[in-house]
Amino acid sequence: MDFADWMWMDYFVSMFTVGIGVALLATGIFTSYFGAGKSQQIGFILLFLGLVAIIVSYILAFDTVEFVEPIFDSDLFIEALISGVSALAGMIIGMFAILFVLMKVDTVDDLEDLDLEDLEDLDLDEELKKLEEELNQADDNSENEEEE
Amino acid sequence: METSLQDIAIAMGLTGAMLAMLGMGLLIAYYGSSKTRGVGFVFLLFGIVLAYLTVTNFDDVHFGNAFIAFIGGMLGGILGIIAFLVAIIKS
Repeated sequence: MDFADWMWMDYFVSMFTVGIGVALLATGIFTSYFGAGKSQQIGFILLFLGLVAIIVSYILAFDTVEFVEPIFDSDLFIEALISGVSALAGMIIGMFAILFVLMKVDTVDDLEDLDLEDLEDLDLDEELKKLEEELNQADDNSENEEEE
Repeated sequence: METSLQDIAIAMGLTGAMLAMLGMGLLIAYYGSSKTRGVGFVFLLFGIVLAYLTVTNFDDVHFGNAFIAFIGGMLGGILGIIAFLVAIIKS
């Protein structure tokens, strides 16, 4: 494995411009489709700028225009693109795997700990009578205090 | 650069999955409840296994450059989204 031989221009800068282009293109499509009025115009501008960024990176990597000298190596550009896309795809797959497992695992605290037998034995009528008695006692106490 | 594109794709795909597993595993193991914490530790273990597999099986892949390509793409994407937000907020 070789970590020392960095090629910032061919790998980092090329993917940086492609990343800007893709983001502007995606947000431009979104805004021009769902936006209205001024925001729709901004969407078209973003769409145009995104297309320009992608076309410029393509021209700078592949010798397609006569009077423009390519600054990125075309083979390395392809390698960089595949690296970026694969890493992104791997991250997305990993995230989906994590979400899938988390949804399948029972994350709620155990209901077994709750003693349901106590609830079954609970007599609601008795509880209501007790409550009424307590309330009556409280009322009597307050009336006695007022009389004094 | 004699690396095949297939090797790069598999190695970087595994690297991406490894990053997701390690990152999310760490978060879940630290902040998770008593039940999810165990799952977080399993993810951390998976991440370490993936890292070992990637490092041992893809000797000819230049990970440094592949990684800066990925980071460059991410940074470019973030910058593009910031540009979109600035354009929308300023309009």
